Amino acid sequence: MFRFILRRLIITIPMVIIVVSLTWGLVRLAPGNFYTGEKRIPPAIEKNLREKYGLDKPWYVQYARMVKNILMLDFGTSLKYEGQSVNSILARSLPVSATLGLLAYLLALVVGVTAGTIAALKQNSRLDYASMALAMLGISLPNFVLGPILVLIFSLTLFILPPTRWGGFPSVNLILPVITLSALYMAYIARLTRSGMLEVLRADYIRTARAKGLSEKDVVFRHALRGGLMPVVSYTGPALAFLIAGTVVVERIFVYPGLGTYFLNACLNRDEPLIIGIVAFISISVLLFNLLVDIAYGFIDPRIRY
Amino acid sequence: MRIFRSSQLRLGAGLLALALLIAGCSASAKNQVYFGKVAPPSDNTLHYVSGSEPESLDPQIGTGQPEARIYMSIFEGLTEYHPKTMEPIPAIAERWDVNKDSSEFTFHLRKNARWSNGEPITARDFVYTFHRGFSPKLASRNAYLGYYIKYAQAYNEGGVFVRDKKTGEFLLVKDFKEGAAKTETPAAEPASASSSSAPDTEFNKIIKSPERVVLPGDEKERNKALEADAKLKAAVEGKEFVEVKATDIGVEAVDDYTVRLTLTQSAPFFLGVMAHQFFRAVPQKVIEQYHEAWTQPQHIVTCGPFKVETWKPYDKLVVVRDPMYWDVARVKLDRIAFYPSEDNPTTMNMYKAGQVDAVLNHTVPAAWLDMVRPLKDYMDAPEVAIDYYQINTKKAPMNDKRVRKAFNMAIDKDALAKWRRIVKPLTAFTPEGIFPGYPQPKGDAFNPQKAKQLLAEAGYKDASGNFDPTKFPINQVEITYNTQESNRIVAEFIQAQWKQNLGLTVPLKNMEWKTFLNMRSKVEYSGFARSGWVGDYMDPFTFLNLFYTPAGDNGTGWWDPKYVQMLDDANSELDQAKRYEKLAKAEAYLIEEQPVIPLLTAATNWVKKPYVKGMYPNPQTLHAWKFVYIEQDSSKWDQGVPDMQKRAGEFGPDY
Repeated sequence: MFRFILRRLIITIPMVIIVVSLTWGLVRLAPGNFYTGEKRIPPAIEKNLREKYGLDKPWYVQYARMVKNILMLDFGTSLKYEGQSVNSILARSLPVSATLGLLAYLLALVVGVTAGTIAALKQNSRLDYASMALAMLGISLPNFVLGPILVLIFSLTLFILPPTRWGGFPSVNLILPVITLSALYMAYIARLTRSGMLEVLRADYIRTARAKGLSEKDVVFRHALRGGLMPVVSYTGPALAFLIAGTVVVERIFVYPGLGTYFLNACLNRDEPLIIGIVAFISISVLLFNLLVDIAYGFIDPRIRY
Repeated sequence: MRIFRSSQLRLGAGLLALALLIAGCSASAKNQVYFGKVAPPSDNTLHYVSGSEPESLDPQIGTGQPEARIYMSIFEGLTEYHPKTMEPIPAIAERWDVNKDSSEFTFHLRKNARWSNGEPITARDFVYTFHRGFSPKLASRNAYLGYYIKYAQAYNEGGVFVRDKKTGEFLLVKDFKEGAAKTETPAAEPASASSSSAPDTEFNKIIKSPERVVLPGDEKERNKALEADAKLKAAVEGKEFVEVKATDIGVEAVDDYTVRLTLTQSAPFFLGVMAHQFFRAVPQKVIEQYHEAWTQPQHIVTCGPFKVETWKPYDKLVVVRDPMYWDVARVKLDRIAFYPSEDNPTTMNMYKAGQVDAVLNHTVPAAWLDMVRPLKDYMDAPEVAIDYYQINTKKAPMNDKRVRKAFNMAIDKDALAKWRRIVKPLTAFTPEGIFPGYPQPKGDAFNPQKAKQLLAEAGYKDASGNFDPTKFPINQVEITYNTQESNRIVAEFIQAQWKQNLGLTVPLKNMEWKTFLNMRSKVEYSGFARSGWVGDYMDPFTFLNLFYTPAGDNGTGWWDPKYVQMLDDANSELDQAKRYEKLAKAEAYLIEEQPVIPLLTAATNWVKKPYVKGMYPNPQTLHAWKFVYIEQDSSKWDQGVPDMQKRAGEFGPDY
């Protein structure tokens, strides 16, 4: 187990560098610059700007410098936001996105697993069909439709919840964005749980447990859930990583100063250090979360040994 | 059957409830006078959506209007914008003198202006501000606004003077221009030195001496320039190159409270530029101590009616009234909270829910206009901004003037304006009705017959001499625009117009903002590219200036020295009315050559709560925040657009 973890950690470094290098290449290829604006700047000022940010050096020098920064986890200074280091931007925006993401996923887990389990237990009943139909709706309805609808009802008609803005944790400002964000995951997890549980509930050891005379509650919670949640666990790893990294649409609708907002604007602004910093962070998160999920497998499923 | 009916019943009940809810929403919408909640805040804080997140709190760095609105609260310059007309009103300068030909401006500062840390603001602070703004290391994108100041451009671009090693004399421009040099400053006459209201000084004598030759500082560029001009190369032989320094710029602190600007040529409109954020005072000691970190809330020192209290990027910037401000008695608000938001529907939702009290311009989405426009908090006024299509005049078939004029004439601009609802049609190149007394020329009217005739004349005709659409190389032409809802609907409208009136279907092409800018500024597009321009100051020259050089913001490849001459001629005209006439003639020449298709004069299109007073839909949507206040007495609230007529003494005895 320990060697497995170590191996995975070591391989993270070259993988992150590959991802970051590809991103760097794409950003360089994209037309336009961080200083391109509606009003053209005179060539002499453009030269000054490029010198100021070290863009006048040959591309391999800039690439080498970027890789060195990544390895030292110092992502440099933003090109667009004068004087703000990428690390400070990450430190500021990550808690916002993480809070939003974690709360949304928690809600999705609680509601989704419950709904999926009940649906699996009462298969082919009206409850099953209703919850799966609702899940279908949750998956199909984009969050840029759901969000504004919720805002329209609760903020602009009933005036009971604020329509935008981050209010810290805990605050009423979190209610609408968390619901909007969790809808898709809730639905997905419900379906995953249902199919996972259905498979497990047919297994022999469950039949044995029931034959032994265990209560339905014990059968479900002590025996079935462990196996039934496997699909959910594998889904959780990358889903959580991306959720924490920020969801652009929800952050834009509710004007949250999170990682997603910064990421989108960095791409549109061609703010290279910020783009690289966020991409590096996301890839490290995804790799780490996948590792955590794999470790969790080892505990949940006794058949898996490292 | 029973189950079926009961679930049907439940479904029916649910739908009925939903229908009632929607009906309730729209019913309440019909009765509303204002858009959304109207409840004045009790804490005397204005909540305002300024636009996108500011890139910096440094007024010499941020280039956009969203930043400008924030800067206007925390920094002040020599002049400020009048809340209604955008004219220059006294700020840190209490009065000023302009010499006869508008090439020298002398500002007399008030003696009680102070920084937020209590230190007095002096003329030397403004000299530092100008020097820093033009410094090549800062690489400010707004530096071009001050290029009329003598040697500012030379310093900003890292240029060099040419000096004789033995005599110490500089090479002069007048030695290279024949006849009466248009670049010879009128201030070469000793008479204008005495017309200044400030005493003559050593520096003044030097700066008023005939203009020196400036060459590029970069050796490669310099050699290229020298190769092109043999006479210049000969004159440079054996001489040394001296870097243009900040102290060479035509800005002088004559004494502690007098600032004198010397320009390279006549620029009567230059006073209107002084309120721009680029020229607002910045604190020398703080910048030299903290460098780029000087704008952080714990370090920043400001000079405006408000100072920075807290700043959470992408969340909220709060400024609080500055007790050190020289006019603090007139500042009524306690605080202003600026919110960044880039999504218009979201901004409108914030406004409707009462989270903010006012928003920036161009916020009401086109689809909402029918509902919001009749309400009493809608701000509708013309803007100093135009929308137009640039034409690539270098690529066939658009290099033929007749083709360009034909396409222009084939658009019914009145129909376009009516359909857009909030804009005015435009046939010329300056916004209509914005500059009082300006005799704006009229471009070609809508005339599809004449358009077809012109195209036939250009060679796209059939055997009987009539216009034949099939002969036109339609694959060489397209409309390119940056991806945005408003651009797309206008492009589709114009495409429909050309299809209807000319029988030609011009394809549309859209792309992301920076990609689009790149393509447009390099003039790589075929046919038409969507463009717009907001005036930097309140004078027609800010628009006509776009075609002063072939490069820069021109974007069409069209350039005519005759046009440039007409502009220079106009600017050296001392009589205001005659100057306007000459500018109008230049504009008429421009639209006759048709390097662009003018479309419309923009409108402000924003909303503010009726209890927000002292805030007006002026042509630039820039508000001098010290005049804004929250009115708690509902009988005094604004019912519609507030009175935009300028009244003497309205904002104070000296305005």
